[in-house]
Amino acid sequence: MSKAAQTDQPRAVALYESAKKIYPREIDGRFASLSKLATYALLGLFYAVPWLMWDERQAILFDLPARKFYLLGLTLWPQDFIYLAWLLMMAAFTLFFFTALAGRLWCGFACPQTVWTEAFIWMEQWTEGTRSQRMKLDKAPWSWNKLRRKGSKQFLWIAFSLWTGFTFVGYFMPVRQLGVDILALNVGGWTLFWGLFYGFATYGNAGYMREQVCKYMCPYARFQSAMFDNDTLIISYDEKRGEPRGGRKRSVDREKEGLGDCIDCQLCVQVCPTGIDIREGLQYECIACAACIDACDSIMDKMEYPRGLVRYTTEHAMQGGTTKVLRPRMFVYGGLLAVLMTALITSMATRTPVILDVIRDRNTLYRELPGDVIENSYTIKIINQSNDARSFHLAVDGVTGLTLDGAADEVAVAGGEVLSLPVRARTHRDNAYGIMNITFSVTAVDDDSVVIVEDSRFLGPTP
Amino acid sequence: MVNEEYRGARKWSRNKQAVATVVWISFLAAAVATMLFFAVFDPTELMATFDADIGIGQQGGYAIGFFFFWMICAGCSAITAWLVRTAPKRDANNR
Repeated sequence: MSKAAQTDQPRAVALYESAKKIYPREIDGRFASLSKLATYALLGLFYAVPWLMWDERQAILFDLPARKFYLLGLTLWPQDFIYLAWLLMMAAFTLFFFTALAGRLWCGFACPQTVWTEAFIWMEQWTEGTRSQRMKLDKAPWSWNKLRRKGSKQFLWIAFSLWTGFTFVGYFMPVRQLGVDILALNVGGWTLFWGLFYGFATYGNAGYMREQVCKYMCPYARFQSAMFDNDTLIISYDEKRGEPRGGRKRSVDREKEGLGDCIDCQLCVQVCPTGIDIREGLQYECIACAACIDACDSIMDKMEYPRGLVRYTTEHAMQGGTTKVLRPRMFVYGGLLAVLMTALITSMATRTPVILDVIRDRNTLYRELPGDVIENSYTIKIINQSNDARSFHLAVDGVTGLTLDGAADEVAVAGGEVLSLPVRARTHRDNAYGIMNITFSVTAVDDDSVVIVEDSRFLGPTP
Repeated sequence: MVNEEYRGARKWSRNKQAVATVVWISFLAAAVATMLFFAVFDPTELMATFDADIGIGQQGGYAIGFFFFWMICAGCSAITAWLVRTAPKRDANNR
């Protein structure tokens, strides 16, 4: 049988096989260390951030009951939602930028799916052992040893998932109070539900679905290739150097035997978390975790061949050219990112920390008071977005002789509070007929430049 | 020696792929819809406006809103996926 047929056959078989579990083999090396570092840093951040405090309150809290988002010193309101959307857009362009530059860095090192899977695989290794031990254990009949190993894995996984769910909820309600509530078995139904929901999702995604999420469910994995070009960093097998592959003793002179550098040890396949063979070229299943680079480098070292048979490279470099980092694509993504970021910073720096809402009383069009006075009722909402108390002048304009009743000359609003104020606007009957446009305005007492104007209507009798 | 255990990786059946994709993508869409919707509307105020105090509270409002969006999005995704998959094969003479 020819070499090609030999390698093709098992692949054709795999198409008809039902889901087969992948047992990624553990590997040490430069990229494994990097990935470990990324996992520690990112998971560490996720679990630690809710516990950070900022002036007596949680530093980062999406306080749903109060409908306020605390981001360090900043308090965002639902009205500031645009900033959050803006941040997400910036995140998307950052992703595009780095994809064009260095391929699937995100997938290999930063995606929550990868990071949590990595943590779950660690727990699997602690309890069930190395790859070959795990495979043997799965094949073995149930025994006390198997039960103990599988049981402790499940215990670790479930405990970790529950803690993850708890932390997740801690981003939406004060985490310290939540901890106290849980210890007192006094948790609200929905709180418990979301904690378990997120915990279960973590357990299923990182424990069982793993690479299937990347292969079948992730939109980014499908469209990331659109950001690729010949100068994008990819993980690639150097076919020219490696082929013809074949096993050999270390002492064998490979040139004499007509062999390439690949000794066909299969280590790169065994370490792959998505179970592909990098030597078949760039495949969309590849999440660029670089485990195969570490694996191959370790073998190259043993064989005393130069490293880099599998390495980070670009299509251009592979074809003997040079890689261009500065290319139009990078300027487009980078430029858009810069514009978005400048706009965000400008907008946040110049935003007026007050919001004014005027709601006309819908129940009555207008009221006639003694002395030929026409009255309209409104509810005024003044939202003080700053953290300090502030006083405002409230004024109305647009109709001759219009005065306000119900509002003091100065209204004080505590920091981060919404003041709801029922007010009545009045004018003489001679000045009011039909629908007239008026404007309400609030001006900060301490700073004339802080002015917000809001349009409304004043209704009078139609003659 | 080719290690057959690892060639080709495991593969989900088409149905499993379809269900997982529909559920996951509609989940993402529902999350976005929920954020947009509740950035504008407060569940407590909504219930007050429509005089519909159904005793679910604010948190219940958020949750029901989210699952409502998820259901709508999943339904839409599922029908799309089903229509695409069951579309008639292209006419041989007119390809």
